[in-house]
Amino acid sequence: MDTLKIGASARTPEVDFDFDANVYRLKGECYPEDIAEFFAPLMDRLREHFARLRGARVDFTFELIYFNSSSAKAILGLFDLLEQTAKAGNDVAIVWACEEGDDIQEMGEEFAEDLTAAKFRLQLGE
Amino acid sequence: MGYDIFKDEVETVARAAALLEKGAFADPAAEEHFTALLADYQKLLKNMQRLMRLADRNEAKLTTASKALDEKNRMLENLSGKLSRYLSPQIYNSIFSGDKDVTLSTERKKLTVFFSDIVGFTQTTDDMQPEDLTWLLNTYFTEMGQIASEHGATVDKFIGDAMLMFFGDPQTLGVEEDARACLRMALAMQNRMAELETQWLAKGVENPLRMRIGVNTGYCNVGNFGSAQRMDYTIIGGEVNLAARLEASADPGGILMSYETYALVQDLVAAEEREPLRVKGIRREVRSFAVTGVGDACRLRYLTAKCDGLDAKCDLTALAGPAREEAIAAIEGVIENLRAMG
Repeated sequence: MDTLKIGASARTPEVDFDFDANVYRLKGECYPEDIAEFFAPLMDRLREHFARLRGARVDFTFELIYFNSSSAKAILGLFDLLEQTAKAGNDVAIVWACEEGDDIQEMGEEFAEDLTAAKFRLQLGE
Repeated sequence: MGYDIFKDEVETVARAAALLEKGAFADPAAEEHFTALLADYQKLLKNMQRLMRLADRNEAKLTTASKALDEKNRMLENLSGKLSRYLSPQIYNSIFSGDKDVTLSTERKKLTVFFSDIVGFTQTTDDMQPEDLTWLLNTYFTEMGQIASEHGATVDKFIGDAMLMFFGDPQTLGVEEDARACLRMALAMQNRMAELETQWLAKGVENPLRMRIGVNTGYCNVGNFGSAQRMDYTIIGGEVNLAARLEASADPGGILMSYETYALVQDLVAAEEREPLRVKGIRREVRSFAVTGVGDACRLRYLTAKCDGLDAKCDLTALAGPAREEAIAAIEGVIENLRAMG
């Protein structure tokens, strides 16, 4: 079973990636001290795995409560990767879970503006 | 038109788009590269705008949270300031600096214990109006509390008109210095009581308060006693009871100490040995010493003598030089007359 699980810390979200099922989740707060240290290994694994996919279904859920500017840039990079994966012939669904009316909701909507191939869905809580 | 911080970048995009529109590129490959470059630049600009909005939002949230935190801190400071008045400053500071845990734990330490009481408090204050009594007591405790604070006493508690204090915990200057600080405080208190007596008499207090003080040095258990929900930082032990017994046997306006204390302060004060005391919980007979005078290091301002039919007070600062001789002659005249009366 090919998975990557990292527990949440005070400054980083919980990472739950199931490469076999193609189900991925980032959950919690994100403002790592070293943005590269946290995101680089995740992006490397994802880039490598997504490059091999053809006609696959990919579900990526973001359940972020807070993220800083550096993390936002990294998330935009992740959106790009998912968009490219969708353009490569995969069925990519991005779920952006947040509280209704929250700033996070607005950020998700903005991040999704450039998506053309990947599907984006807001999942609003109370 | 509002101010646009990205005006220059937007104009750059517009100029680049116009070039493409005009078909300014002779080389189709160069045009293709330029188109891709422009798309990347537009994306970069858009992302930069997003990130700046996010940074601004986060900063605004942080400012709001910081203001709320400041407000909360002010409220807590205010509250802790109020609560601190229910605790001895030393205990309060030890807890707030993290030196002391708020847990049920005690230590055995050699402390100098101070116990005081007002002589015949009930009879003295029986006929007073409650408002006058409140004023009298508040003045008394405020003045004594101030002196205690100046000398570094840990005020354990006020019990009606009595006060229990100690030296040697949480801070200590060593057993000897603690005892000496306690005695200096006791002398300062009795001095102040003599000054207050004049003020109280002037304000119509018929029977001014007079204080008895007992001082003892010995091993006590000190720490938090009580329950986990409600505890009291206090001292217990036979030596504490002994301080109370010394106080009960002291002269009005006087200080009675155990030999253990006297041995540590004998160069500061003159004292006469009194009847030994027997105290429950202490096997030995306790030698007691009454302060009769002081050394230069902590001289009393007043000499007083009071019993049925006699109420005398000498202000030593006013009795320098010839005035002292006159006072001695006056007192000797009174003694002579008294003796002549048989």
